[in-house]
Amino acid sequence: MEILKCERIRKVYGFGNNQTTALDGIDLSVSKGEFVAIVGVSGSGKSTLLHILGSVDRPTDGKVTVDGTDLSDLNRTQAAVFRRRKVGLVYQFYNLIPTMTIEKNILLPLALDKKKPNREYFEKIVGSLAIMDKLNALPGQLSGGQQQRAAIARALIYRPALLLADEPTGNLDRKNSGEVMDMLKLLNRNLEQTVLLITHDEKAALEADRIITIEDGRIVGDERKEVKMLP
Amino acid sequence: MCKEYQTSGHSIRLCAFISALFLSLLCGLFYNMWKYEVERIKLNEGDWQSRLVGFLDQEDIENIKNFATVKDVVINERENRNDQKITVDLHFDDLRVVLTDTPRLAMLTNIPQDGIFYNHALLAMYLIRDPQDTAPRLLFPMFILITLLASVSLIMIVHNAFALSMNAKIHQIGILSSIGATPKQLLTCLLQEAAALCAIPVLGGNLLGIAGCAGFTALSNILANDIPNRHKAIPGYHPLVFALTFLVTAATIGISAWLPARKLSVLTPLEAIKNTGEPYLKRKKKSPMLALMFGVEGELAGNALKAQKKALRTASLSLVLSSMAFTIMQCFFATSEISTRETYFERYQNAWDIMITLKDTDINAFKLKDECRNLSGVRDAVVYQKAMAKRIVTEKEMTDEMKDCGGFSLAQEKYVKKTDEGWLINTPIIILDDQSFLTYCEQLGIPPQLDGAVILNQIRDVTNPDFRHPMFMPYIKNTGVSILRQSGKEDQTTRIPVLSYTEKTPVLREDYATLDYYELVHFLPASLWGNIKNQITGSENDMYIRVLCRENATLEELNSTQNQIDRLIGQSYTITSENRIQEYETNDKQIQGLKILSGSFCAMLAIIGIGNVFSNTLGFVRQRKREFARYMSVGMTPGELRKMFCIEALVLAGQPVLITFPPAVLAILFMLKMSYLTMGEFLDEAPFTPIAIFMLAILASVALAYSFAWRNVQKISLSEVLKDDTQ
Repeated sequence: MEILKCERIRKVYGFGNNQTTALDGIDLSVSKGEFVAIVGVSGSGKSTLLHILGSVDRPTDGKVTVDGTDLSDLNRTQAAVFRRRKVGLVYQFYNLIPTMTIEKNILLPLALDKKKPNREYFEKIVGSLAIMDKLNALPGQLSGGQQQRAAIARALIYRPALLLADEPTGNLDRKNSGEVMDMLKLLNRNLEQTVLLITHDEKAALEADRIITIEDGRIVGDERKEVKMLP
Repeated sequence: MCKEYQTSGHSIRLCAFISALFLSLLCGLFYNMWKYEVERIKLNEGDWQSRLVGFLDQEDIENIKNFATVKDVVINERENRNDQKITVDLHFDDLRVVLTDTPRLAMLTNIPQDGIFYNHALLAMYLIRDPQDTAPRLLFPMFILITLLASVSLIMIVHNAFALSMNAKIHQIGILSSIGATPKQLLTCLLQEAAALCAIPVLGGNLLGIAGCAGFTALSNILANDIPNRHKAIPGYHPLVFALTFLVTAATIGISAWLPARKLSVLTPLEAIKNTGEPYLKRKKKSPMLALMFGVEGELAGNALKAQKKALRTASLSLVLSSMAFTIMQCFFATSEISTRETYFERYQNAWDIMITLKDTDINAFKLKDECRNLSGVRDAVVYQKAMAKRIVTEKEMTDEMKDCGGFSLAQEKYVKKTDEGWLINTPIIILDDQSFLTYCEQLGIPPQLDGAVILNQIRDVTNPDFRHPMFMPYIKNTGVSILRQSGKEDQTTRIPVLSYTEKTPVLREDYATLDYYELVHFLPASLWGNIKNQITGSENDMYIRVLCRENATLEELNSTQNQIDRLIGQSYTITSENRIQEYETNDKQIQGLKILSGSFCAMLAIIGIGNVFSNTLGFVRQRKREFARYMSVGMTPGELRKMFCIEALVLAGQPVLITFPPAVLAILFMLKMSYLTMGEFLDEAPFTPIAIFMLAILASVALAYSFAWRNVQKISLSEVLKDDTQ
């Protein structure tokens, strides 16, 4: 089942002579339950692509459909609600709200919709991400790895169609990086969560089922692993 | 980025302008107050600096004139007494030598120390204080204190604006630092930029402050125009005041810029590059009320306000103080107005229309009574004089009611003296012209006659302090005679018949037994007073004429009659006159003037608070950009973000109202208790409208500040912020 479809996406920044083409005709299709890594050097356009997929930014041309929603038709409010419900965004610097406890941070997307959390699902997530005992702490009181796990939990609380992770291990040491990648793999396999990982770390990319390489705003490689290794 | 600098630059310019305006206004007003006070002292007490009184001959005076530091010597004829002593007023070239050279001059002319006098009030205006002068003379200390307070509070605001602006450049500072700029160079760079930003607003603020000061002085003249014998204020300015204002403003702005600049200049390059300047909470805080009322947006707004607590401290404090001061001030004026009206204007509304005071005039020597009564527009005129005598009230004379209330047991020693015969009490005497006394007798229903006194036979229940609803009881029993004694020489007595013991007073603008409840007021005809005044003495120098005009007379009518009386009597006597409606209007204007002054003070406080809110909100978009980006990245819609903003603004503006409410209620209850007014009376005239307008103005200003900030937040590009996490 196709969960994400990009057709001829272009993104151009600036005007006149100062124009920069960040994405140049990207065509991409991702099926439900896939773990995709997008790799590329700095400035290749991978983060721009992630922002467009997460409705944070809009393409100059082309069409993006996520779980049946055409992102190009969304206004600012609809885009925000889409981000809240359909995608989970994980950033290098976590982007947790520093004034809220970890529990409230995780439940924030639901709270914005005035929805009560499913406690069983919540406990399952925080349990599997091993942050159960950190729920009452403020983000500033946690280590980088713990904050990133909390950010993943927040991204998953709405059971999004797509988990978009932008360099999630970029700010972590090797041990924590390994743990976060293991978590993402586990979520992908156990919950059938579609994951799109943006990274320039080849080792992290190798954990994915499919590796897409971007260069100068174009897809120059799309490799799939033949066999899925069971844990 | 440029726009962000521009925004924070605007807030710095605004803060610098407000600071300069405020300080310029303060210094200008102080100078004008000082100038007015000097003029007033010179008018009332003379412009002499020191004075020598003693046996001086021409040679002595010449010696004084020839003294090096003496500018001028004036023989004061008015002060010269009959004892051959001469009074000379001295003026020096340099005021600083007055205290040292006057004793030298005294020594030179053989005048003892007790013959040296200083115009302390005038000298104090030039900061020359004699250790012997113990009067507080608070003008200068108050000015220094107020200026210091103003400067400190302005520093708190302006430093925040600078901090926000400088934080916006922290990344740039990090880069400069990383390529080898020293902390001193960074500090200089930041301060130079601050100076460039503030130069024009400071100049503009100073000039506007000078204009505002002239406006205030002119306004005070307009408001106080009708106050009799008031010296008119002439607006003035001095280059030194400008220099002082500029110095104080420069110091205020300089310290404000230096505080954050110093902090930033000593950051390591890495700290500077990584620093986001984002507000955060050190400990977990809850906003249960806001969360309950407004949901997650309320909680986020509450947390954001708590994280910005330090930056908003001045704003909150100023807004709370201004609204509290304004509310309590308004309530105070309202209760005071009700009280004055009920106790004075309404009470005496029918007691007088025009009052004339004749200086140094004896009632029996005044010959224009009939002419005065015959003036057109005069319905009734009572000529009277007051005197003070003593009288003894014996145990036997006291009424049973008086005895039941404890007699004189509660009387103060200074008013009532216990003697062997009884109690020696004060006996005010109101001497009415004969015709008025006969009319008074008729009003009392007794045969009109001029050979006795009428006694106001009532005493207030001293155990009941409610002055608005006093309880009275009969004071003494009817004995038919009263033995008056000379005050201070009580063995000098005279015995007068009493025509009536009454509780009814003649229609006069007089209050009886307000301080000393045990006074026993006697009303006497002028002819009888003429017979006994040598034994009793004690009459006041001034004499009064109370005039009633036609009922419901207008101000124009009263003015016209007053002018006629002034013309008739003023030629032969030294008089002052006033009329009821004019006095009411003057009182009204004085209260209005006071209200404007105190209202301006509250408004200034509010402006400081609002200025701080503006400086904070205009600058916080840069500071809180990442915070807003985070909200948006988890799916907060623009509407929800706007709701959060509205809640922040509402809390910031609503806080002063909520905090003001309890102390205002307590203050009102206290005022009502002190003035013996009821809550109903107060509520009928409670100043709800001005208080509501003031609060709404605060709310509107805060809302405006947040709406500007919201406009800037809408321009935030989420992808830009999320792209560069190091910013």
